Amino acid sequence: MKNKALRRFRLELPLHLLLIPGVLVTLVYAYGPMFGIVMAFQKFSPALGFLHSKWVGLKNFKYVFNLPDFSQVLWNTFYISLLKVALGIVVPLVLALLLNEAAKNWFKRLVQTSIFLPFFLSWTVLGGVIFELFSLKGPINSLISGLGAQPIMFLGSNTWFPAIIVGSDVWKGMGYNMIIFLAAIVGINMNLYEAAEVDGAGKWKQLIHVTLPGIAPIVILLSTLSIGGILNAGFDQILILYNPTVYESADVIDTFVYRLGIFDQQYAPAAAIGLFKSAVSLGLVSLSYYLAYKFSNYRIF
Amino acid sequence: MKIKLYGGLTTAMILMSSVLVTACSDNSGKQAAAPAASQQQPAAAKTPEKADPFGKFAQPVTVTQVLGFRPPEDPKTPKGITPEQNGYLKQLKDMLNIDVKYMWTVPTEQYEQKFSLAVASGDLPDLMVVDQKMFEKLYEQGMLADITDAYKTYASPTLKKYVEGDGGFALGMFTRDGKIYGLPSYEDPYMSTQIMWIRTDWLKNLGLEPPKTIDELEKVAEAFVKNDPDKNGKADTYGLALQKKLIFWGFDARGLFNSMGAYPTAWLKGSDGKLMAGEIQPETKNVLAKLQSWYQKGILDKEWALKDDQKAVEDIVAGKVGISFGEWWYPNWPLNLNKDKDPNAEWKPFPLPSFDGKPGKSLVNKIRLNKVVVVNKKAKHPEAVIKMASFYNEMERSKYKDINKAENGWVYNWYEPRIYNPNNFENLFQAVNEAVANKKDKVESEKDETVIQGADEVFKAAKDYLAGDKKAWGLYFSRAADDGGWGLTRKIRDQKLVTFNEYYGPATPTQVEKGASLDKLMDETFTKIIMGSAPIDEFDKYVSSWKKLGGDDITKEINDWYAKNAK
Repeated sequence: MKNKALRRFRLELPLHLLLIPGVLVTLVYAYGPMFGIVMAFQKFSPALGFLHSKWVGLKNFKYVFNLPDFSQVLWNTFYISLLKVALGIVVPLVLALLLNEAAKNWFKRLVQTSIFLPFFLSWTVLGGVIFELFSLKGPINSLISGLGAQPIMFLGSNTWFPAIIVGSDVWKGMGYNMIIFLAAIVGINMNLYEAAEVDGAGKWKQLIHVTLPGIAPIVILLSTLSIGGILNAGFDQILILYNPTVYESADVIDTFVYRLGIFDQQYAPAAAIGLFKSAVSLGLVSLSYYLAYKFSNYRIF
Repeated sequence: MKIKLYGGLTTAMILMSSVLVTACSDNSGKQAAAPAASQQQPAAAKTPEKADPFGKFAQPVTVTQVLGFRPPEDPKTPKGITPEQNGYLKQLKDMLNIDVKYMWTVPTEQYEQKFSLAVASGDLPDLMVVDQKMFEKLYEQGMLADITDAYKTYASPTLKKYVEGDGGFALGMFTRDGKIYGLPSYEDPYMSTQIMWIRTDWLKNLGLEPPKTIDELEKVAEAFVKNDPDKNGKADTYGLALQKKLIFWGFDARGLFNSMGAYPTAWLKGSDGKLMAGEIQPETKNVLAKLQSWYQKGILDKEWALKDDQKAVEDIVAGKVGISFGEWWYPNWPLNLNKDKDPNAEWKPFPLPSFDGKPGKSLVNKIRLNKVVVVNKKAKHPEAVIKMASFYNEMERSKYKDINKAENGWVYNWYEPRIYNPNNFENLFQAVNEAVANKKDKVESEKDETVIQGADEVFKAAKDYLAGDKKAWGLYFSRAADDGGWGLTRKIRDQKLVTFNEYYGPATPTQVEKGASLDKLMDETFTKIIMGSAPIDEFDKYVSSWKKLGGDDITKEINDWYAKNAK
């Protein structure tokens, strides 16, 4: 018995050795830097480093939470990113299902590529495009005034600004998730469709009872993953598009920290916010993972 | 789980990994520094000599330095040259017998962090070039040498002229109890004087006079909106250039605020002799009310609050706007671009308009500091550092121009300390105008051992422009023309039509802590008032919030500083 275990260990030893570099890299680059979290509890000075900076307990957290706009900023963050997460799943899903039904292959490819394209553009470029599109003299307002209505200052309105942020983000990112969904649909066993057809199911019934359950794990996976990023409402996008008139509806944690940072390199409060965001993300991911497991008996790991 | 956790932690991770990196570079820095320190020459090198700024040390003297550097600016510089091979250093050795030893050299971006670490570890070079904040820190920690004697004995007349070019105010900032701890390099603070740039061809088209008061300015601006000043038959122009940052470095509202006696973000002396914040004064409210009415009249671009400086510049270049407050340099950018596009465009600067019978007075900071040269308390030869500073100015002189060339491996921006002439700008103006007036072929670019930087270029531009080359307008009109940017600014300076920002210390603790929130409150309130989405009385609410959210504490800190430092 013992001999057998030893033999097995010998056999597997090279495999274990192969693992070592990967584990080391993870330890050094993913776990090692975590000690830097102590910064969040210090009066951090880059000159002293986190080994010698003064320990101040929860002072940085109190400072951040007591900032006069923090609750508003937090709400904006949740509100914008929740919409982004929800629409960022639903829209690509619908697109993927529609595209899957497209009969002509060239048409499918064309649409797929053109939807994917904006994913590769940076917000700096898209920011200019969006600014021109929605400006008072831009095409959208020309259309509106052509219909006899008053032009709208979209990027200066607290009603419209979040909608534009969410809409443009979904538009930019939808190609990526769509491709994943399409790949998942292709992976569904064709026999299931044949069986459904034999049972007399039409296209619609096939969609409901075969395709959707077939890709449900991927949908749940993507939703769970994106919930982890719920406190990231899209820093570069908002920074490029916002202005003081829409601070009320569009100032999010990251933009606020950014302004905090450039005023006087306040590393410690920034680290405190980072840790806070991570803690919230961890909680939300665990929760959604648990729910996914409980209701659809699905496990990612 | 692990992977996702990592994603969620991104922000924290980035911060943390930067800590790790600094931790690593800390070690390597120390290792690199150790040999440099051991090579230092013994103190015995000090030998008696005459007090000649350019006298050669009998024994070699080593000065340690650190350097953050960029690639050489001049493409003629030999490829692959390192800071240690800089032509300046060879000349320094030949002429003064000073060896410069770099404890470390890094690209400029990494310099600040690396230097902070060096401060923390106490591993500092003999010669350092720092900012005001770092100066205060090093001084408080007792790390700086008293260089009074070295400066008085060894500084060349030229160096003294530069350091004390403003009558000693700047030097006084770095003198404690009569002892000099740092040599400042700074520019003429009047360079930030606000003036008003106007399209004079538009004025002519509409038969209008340049505005002298705010009311006249309003009439001109309205005419620029309504009366088709560019005569293209389209209502596509507006009055005053503005962008979303009201207090910025250009195309902003500072000039208008100043015209009406308002000085947001500056500290002014009140009637009780105490300093008070400009942004909460009633004058600021008046300007906001004025801007609100101007916005309704279309004098401002409807979307100014959405546009950044780049977009405001686009409008100027495209000939859509006729007035912009700003500084002397506009002709060199972006007004020249507008003239390139539209040869008829004429821009001229005017003094700030008056309001309520009082002349507009621009805000000017007391100092426009670039850097401070300091010496480590442990340095054995503070006088060597003073000599090195004098040496740089000496090398600028025309008698060295055959050897001081990029192709010989002389890289000026790798050499420290460089202390520049704060009055260079004024000297340049005078020298070029003198040469032009007397129809000389060459400008006198060196006078009393003082070199005038850029004199040849500006003189060439002046000659070219006056001979009809429109391309030379930008450089000429910003720096040399009597009715141009600097030409007007120096007149305002001579008439002293300015208001000083009385605070020139580093950011106070509450400013650091609450500054971001207070800035946001100001930007949001001011923008909304001007756009009309908040009533003007919102300003009173802003003032009381400002006080509550830290403004009162900041005022107290600023006044404590003022009581200690006011002169």
